[in-house]
Amino acid sequence: MRKRSFVTLAVALLFAVSAFADLTVDEILAKNFEARGGADKWKALQSMRFTGKMSMGGGMEAPISMTKKRPEMMRLDFTIQGMTGTQAYDGTTGWMLMPFLGKKDAEPVSADMLKEVKLQADFDGPTWDYKTKGHTIELLGKADIEGTPAYKLKLVTKEGIESVIYIDAENFLEIKAESKAKVQGQEVESETTFGNYQEVDGLLFPFSIEMKPKGAPTGQSITIEKVELNPTIADDTFKMPVKKAEAAPAAPKQ
Amino acid sequence: MRKTFALLSLLTLPLFAADDSAKLDSSTLGGLRARSIGPAVMGGRIAAIDATADSPSTIYVGAASGGVWKSTDGGTSFKPVFDEHTQSIGAIAIDKANPSTVWAGTGESCVRNSVSVGTGVYKTTDAGSTWTNAGLAGSEHIAGIAIDPKKSDTVFVCATGHAWNANEERGVFRTDDGGKTWKKVLYVDANTGCSDISMDPGDSSILYAGMWDFRRQPDNFRSGGPGSALYRSKDGGETWHKLTNGLPKTTLGRIAVAVAPSRPSTVYAVVESKNTALYRSDDLGEHWQEMNNSFNVQVRPFYFAHVVVDPTNHMRVYKPGYSLTFSDDGGKTFSGSIMSMGGAVHPDHHALWINPKDPNVMFAGTDGGVYQSFDKAQRWRFLNVLPVSQFYHVNYDMAMPYNVYGGLQDNGTWMAPSQFPGGVSNHHWRPIGGGDGFAVVADPNDEDTVYVESQGGRIVRFRRSTGENKEIYPFAKQDESKLRFNWNTPIYASPTQKGTIYIGSQYLMRSRDRGDSWERISPDLTTNDPSRQKQMESGGVSVDNSSAENYTTIITISESVKNANVIWVGTDDGNVQLTRDGGKTWTNVAANVKGVPPRTWVSRVEASHFDENTAYATFDGHRTGDMKPYVHRTRDGGKTWEALATADVKGFAHVVREDLVNRDLLFLGTELGLYLSVDGGKNWAQFKENFPPVPVNDVKIHQRDGDAIIGTHGRGIYIIDDITPLRALNSETLSKDVAFLASRPSKLNIPAFEGRMEGDDLYSSGALDDVASISYYLKKRHVIGDSKIEIYDADGKLLQTLTAGKRRGINRVDWAMRMKAPKMPAGSSLVFSGGAFYGPRAAEGKYTVKLIKGKETYATTLELVPDPRATYTAEDRTLQQKTVRRLYDMLADFTFLTERVRTLRDQANARAGKLSGGDKKRLGDFATKLDTTYRNLVATREGGWLSGEEQLRERIGALYGAVNSYDGRPTDSQIGEADVVAAELAKQQTAFDSATKELAQINRTLSSRKLETLTLLTREEWEKKESGVVGATSKGQFREMISRWLW
Repeated sequence: MRKRSFVTLAVALLFAVSAFADLTVDEILAKNFEARGGADKWKALQSMRFTGKMSMGGGMEAPISMTKKRPEMMRLDFTIQGMTGTQAYDGTTGWMLMPFLGKKDAEPVSADMLKEVKLQADFDGPTWDYKTKGHTIELLGKADIEGTPAYKLKLVTKEGIESVIYIDAENFLEIKAESKAKVQGQEVESETTFGNYQEVDGLLFPFSIEMKPKGAPTGQSITIEKVELNPTIADDTFKMPVKKAEAAPAAPKQ
Repeated sequence: MRKTFALLSLLTLPLFAADDSAKLDSSTLGGLRARSIGPAVMGGRIAAIDATADSPSTIYVGAASGGVWKSTDGGTSFKPVFDEHTQSIGAIAIDKANPSTVWAGTGESCVRNSVSVGTGVYKTTDAGSTWTNAGLAGSEHIAGIAIDPKKSDTVFVCATGHAWNANEERGVFRTDDGGKTWKKVLYVDANTGCSDISMDPGDSSILYAGMWDFRRQPDNFRSGGPGSALYRSKDGGETWHKLTNGLPKTTLGRIAVAVAPSRPSTVYAVVESKNTALYRSDDLGEHWQEMNNSFNVQVRPFYFAHVVVDPTNHMRVYKPGYSLTFSDDGGKTFSGSIMSMGGAVHPDHHALWINPKDPNVMFAGTDGGVYQSFDKAQRWRFLNVLPVSQFYHVNYDMAMPYNVYGGLQDNGTWMAPSQFPGGVSNHHWRPIGGGDGFAVVADPNDEDTVYVESQGGRIVRFRRSTGENKEIYPFAKQDESKLRFNWNTPIYASPTQKGTIYIGSQYLMRSRDRGDSWERISPDLTTNDPSRQKQMESGGVSVDNSSAENYTTIITISESVKNANVIWVGTDDGNVQLTRDGGKTWTNVAANVKGVPPRTWVSRVEASHFDENTAYATFDGHRTGDMKPYVHRTRDGGKTWEALATADVKGFAHVVREDLVNRDLLFLGTELGLYLSVDGGKNWAQFKENFPPVPVNDVKIHQRDGDAIIGTHGRGIYIIDDITPLRALNSETLSKDVAFLASRPSKLNIPAFEGRMEGDDLYSSGALDDVASISYYLKKRHVIGDSKIEIYDADGKLLQTLTAGKRRGINRVDWAMRMKAPKMPAGSSLVFSGGAFYGPRAAEGKYTVKLIKGKETYATTLELVPDPRATYTAEDRTLQQKTVRRLYDMLADFTFLTERVRTLRDQANARAGKLSGGDKKRLGDFATKLDTTYRNLVATREGGWLSGEEQLRERIGALYGAVNSYDGRPTDSQIGEADVVAAELAKQQTAFDSATKELAQINRTLSSRKLETLTLLTREEWEKKESGVVGATSKGQFREMISRWLW
């Protein structure tokens, strides 16, 4: 009996060691890229489109479509009561169009927001070639994410935006990220969890993304229903529309 | 070696399989979240405040047992930044040279009877985001921290040390390497600790420290002794000299000391002695002169060892005490009597921060929270955003939603609804008792009556409707000895005999007439040791008899629901008494509890709800320095007891509670948090989801709703809504890969919303979402592969698909109990009308829930039940459902028609551009006709929602929203309007149908011109498009939602 519990302990220790081999940042990221389908396949991608729905809890839901195109273009559309709101970035200008109260023209986003947008528009994500991009990544050690062991990486971008990325020790996939962003001048800490990784043409994508302010009970979740790789998307799609000059039709007399 | 490895690898497989029987841990419980309902309308004791002149909007507040809170907006709002660590804070110091570095000393040093304990000094270098323990873990109480303004790594800690026993980790400590190593630079003996420290702001090698000889015991407090003295160092703490010239020669007690920042040769000290007084030195402490001994300078020196000098005027000195008084003449006279602050500011001041650049601006910390003044302490604003209230007990009633009641340290007794549309907020809390509050009982027979108390057994019957009080505490009869009531006297309502209440002195007393008469049903159940009944002499140098040291008393009572004659009683001096005949005879079974030192405080007895021979007890030895958790259970009526606390449980134990449904589900509250067991106490896991390691003094389980109500001593009240999933968690479910856990039937709550735009400076629990919870257990995190939840109605029709939770352990997924939102065509603005964003509510009844995880599907059922408060009839409800469904379907038909009109019009316009002559005109006329119809369908005018234009879209949408926001009978007007809009829709449909008669002819023309013909959108094509479902109910909510969506 005594002997057996000793062996159990030894095996448990062995397991602990193998689950958490002492890897460097670059080794962890290499395994992460490999788990996502490998660098070659990823680099061959030129554009992608994700369609699905965004849920806000309490029954709130909106169809969404997200497109990304190299080098760093992106666009998000979501629809409420048949009306579509848009946020996009063409590599230079970040803009949004929110028609819900009657506004028909696009507006540029704030400088703070633009930093965030740029980071999100990075086609390969900030961890890829991070040194070339001028970002730093530091291994903060190992963490327990809701009971799942993970590597904890701290990313500081060239612009100084900080975030923490958790890569699970078993699959080497990103399962959580924490970030600090400035929203309307206020620092807001948020956390994002990734899951339901599924393969599309040999690449692995998270089909479930949940975001919430740090410590909040609920937030919003995105469920991807379809992923298209290398769809043809014109660059104009990402450009801020020019204000419509034409006069609106005259209102009928009441 | 090689052989060993082979053996190990052979063993690996079966061992891991065995390891699969996952053990309960904090992550297992993770998906169940505690909901804080405050209150913040009254505070808890504040022990420390710090900020800087350069950035006065950044404020750190240390609560006596509620953690560290940080504001970056001048006190409008605060966030807790210390929730991973001990919640008792004694000192906070910002490194002024490098304000991202902040030191926190844990363990408050205002060592009253209810004081918590700390675990050393902590340091953050990232402005509070992360903290690390920097040592002195055994000090338990820290009074002050002084940072060398020129050398950030040199820090002094004034460690008061243990309150309840002797220890050597006390005195003044210094680090020169930022907390890596410490040197004890001033030490007297194991009974004497540091009570205050002050550094000369101009010359950091000069320091003053008060040393304090003191001891707390369960029945006595001693402040003062041969170790107490005031010291000074002139060499950065290397050597210290006792300062005596001009100070009392008699035995000293606690000492507070402060250097005047604007003239460091002036030093003030409040010295406890037989004549406690304020002393001043104008020569760096060499000579002292008694200045003042007014009431507020003298009062309770152990509790108010504080003196603060104005940063710009060395003659203005503040005395935080019972009130906050001040002197403008160097301490000679003090303005302000104890009444000067009226009722606006809570008495008992422990912290005062004055802005060094603008001394008009200050923050004061009291037993009742934090106040802010902009006029040098004349008028104060209360910061009612800090939920750091310190509860001793909580309770509930059977209202709907039920009310929560609780008694607080120095803040009376309060009640509030357990939930409210929009959240439980400050204005929901009502004070119903004064003094210090403790046990509180809502009369089960009369919802208007509540029994409340203040310290020392002052029991009052309170009438909610009028606010009247009747003092109902009993007196000793002529032949009886004086009744002894604990500081925290138990009041207990019989769970089975409505209207019977018990209280405990040294006797158990029972009343069956709401406290108008009391019957003694026991002999003295305590040790009745006269040597432990000398609270009149308690206090040491200054007498301090507030009933806080009353001893040899009953403190806990529990009656068996299985047999009302079986009553358990626990006393503060270690007796566990049992009667099986309703109080005629009593047996002390304490000696049968092995492993607990004799006379250990019996913090709680809990009779089992399943068996009259089973009971639980917690024992709390911290008042003699024994910090171990003791949790015991008997199954044989007290003859034998088993110890249940494991090494996983930290902190001395306050309360154990057995669930009302599953006898293996136990809740345990200790000084360092909340613990749960699902196997009858074999294993414990700390509950951490949105719940800090705060003292948990009470836990109640709501009999009807199955919520756990957690009373914390430092962070207010938390509710774990619906513990039904925990009741289903056992070793069998834990061993499964996936297991659904039942939830209580979900109420279709009456939709309600209260909008108040009161700013950010108030505390609210946030709204409880109107959802059905789907709970399940995952043995392992779901990372790869699809997972989702599907809801089906009784006919097997898919109603909703939800994102599935993926974490290891309990997951909780919310369903809004609604169908998808209605279809709606685009217009010039959203339709803001009650329920226009929502789908119709799901009907009462049973639904099937499927969890799809990879290739596996798991199913369970879920039940929706009506809100019992609803006043409408089943017939009304049916009519509403019918009407809302009619409008919902009408919106779909309408949207389809609109889309057909719009797409046909756009095609016609496009083709017309490619034609000429008569063909062009004919197609143009056709497009115009369609456009006219379109403009009758949706609002198109410029101006968005401010245009006020209403077409059919806006009319049907608004009507649908109105009918959908009330579950009962729609009004006759609404039903009439439904007919009107239906007729209007039919009219537009007819107009469109008549227009499309021309289509065949037009298409022939187009074909002959080699142009693409016009096509009519089919229902099938259209249905593929889906309108978004949004749940906002007001413009404000919508704006908030949109802003959250931005990137």
